[in-house]
Amino acid sequence: MIDIKGTITYSLVRNLFLGTKDFLIMVGNIGKDFVNVAKYIFLLRFNLKAVIEQSSRFAVDSLPITLTIVSMTSIIIAIQIAPELAKQGAEGYIGMLSGIVMIRELACIMAGFAIISMIGSSFASELASMAVGEQISAMKVLKVDPIEYLIVPRFLSGVIMMPFVFILSSFAGLICAGIVSKMTAGLSLLNYINSLWQGLYVRDILIAMLKASFFGGTIALISCSCGYSTRGGAKEVGIATTMAVVWSFLAIAVWDYVFAVIFYL
Amino acid sequence: MGIIVRDLVKTFDDKKVLDNVSFSVQDGETLGVVGFSGSGKSTLLKIISNLLYADGGAIATTAGSDVAMTFQYSALFDFLDVFHNIAFPLLERKEFKGKYTKEELKKIVKEKLALVGLEGIEDKFPSELSGGMQKRVGFARAIVTNPKTILYDEPTAGLDPVSSTLIEDYIVRLKNELNAACIVVTHQMSTITRACDNVILLYEGKIVFKGSTKEFLQGDNPYTKQFIDASLDGPMEIKSAI
Repeated sequence: MIDIKGTITYSLVRNLFLGTKDFLIMVGNIGKDFVNVAKYIFLLRFNLKAVIEQSSRFAVDSLPITLTIVSMTSIIIAIQIAPELAKQGAEGYIGMLSGIVMIRELACIMAGFAIISMIGSSFASELASMAVGEQISAMKVLKVDPIEYLIVPRFLSGVIMMPFVFILSSFAGLICAGIVSKMTAGLSLLNYINSLWQGLYVRDILIAMLKASFFGGTIALISCSCGYSTRGGAKEVGIATTMAVVWSFLAIAVWDYVFAVIFYL
Repeated sequence: MGIIVRDLVKTFDDKKVLDNVSFSVQDGETLGVVGFSGSGKSTLLKIISNLLYADGGAIATTAGSDVAMTFQYSALFDFLDVFHNIAFPLLERKEFKGKYTKEELKKIVKEKLALVGLEGIEDKFPSELSGGMQKRVGFARAIVTNPKTILYDEPTAGLDPVSSTLIEDYIVRLKNELNAACIVVTHQMSTITRACDNVILLYEGKIVFKGSTKEFLQGDNPYTKQFIDASLDGPMEIKSAI
């Protein structure tokens, strides 16, 4: 008789089943946490001081790395496209292209990646450590809802501050692209700015700010939820942090697609 | 009224962790809960404190009063100083928010710290305190709302014998001060002898001994005898429990 349990197929199917089960549990937890967070926000039950503290952490603490990543990316893109466009005699489009790429896509997604690495991972590991150290259980016994005390301020900080991070990142990225265009394609800053205006639309900026807000809320919610539902010890804290980062990346990629389809297709 | 537990059942993955557990604890009485690791002691506390749901049975505690719980490793909020740890429920709970002035809170925290033999540490963070001090701050936080039910999860775990004695004395003191019904989950015999009035011994989710501390220590029951003697021989199989 063949021992099915020893086969590779069995192992693959089993892992697929367990992976799907874990995924569905996680999605369920995030959904449940979101409903509770929305309930507290709707009832205006949140600590404003905590929201301000978390907002400062979300935006100010992450700003150096966010600005660096977005600026570096825009510099690299400008190095790639500015000389090519200049060769074709299309210098006049450098600013416009930079504006479109930066505002519609790059600043938001790159800032999102930076925030996930810096803030999302920190939210997840912080809450996971509290969960395995029984601090969250202690909070429940003291009849203080950890969702209200811990997750709502972090979620609101993401929703509120991410658009500001996006605006600052875009500004930094466009300045860097302008400087690089001058250095590599000889485009004057005045011409760059004139070209830039052709590619900047208020509608695009508003859509990108809305998208940034969705990104911020999603990153905060997934990170907090992954941390909050952690059980076990140090190993599980690490797993929760990894899960928070991976699923946040995936979630903002999906949001990005949804926004592109809704507003630009 | 104290605590009344009737026919409590809890199952994890087809394993019955608590199997029709029933007991009661009067106000001003401390019940010690002992048993091997995995015998369901901590699960029992988590169910009484509403951290877990039972699959069956019923629990009643004194109406209109909190169920307080202290944790094995204190579970102090490491991002808050001692003052804010102790005042936490008074500052953050919906029914207490804005009820106390800063001065009143300071007075309450000072009183609770004095009850556990500490003073002048309000500004310190948990990481600056010894294990014994952290436990006592945990006690002060637990009693800040004057509960009538106090649950202690391994209160002397990880402490030296002298600190353990101190903790045991404070368990007795808090019970007397608040006239509370207390349950102490412990592995330490000194905690049973010094702090508990009655004892239950859990084995594979069932109560195999229930009686006074004196009866427990006499060791006529084969289960208690094996537990007290820390023997591998007896009705309890160690392999199935750990």
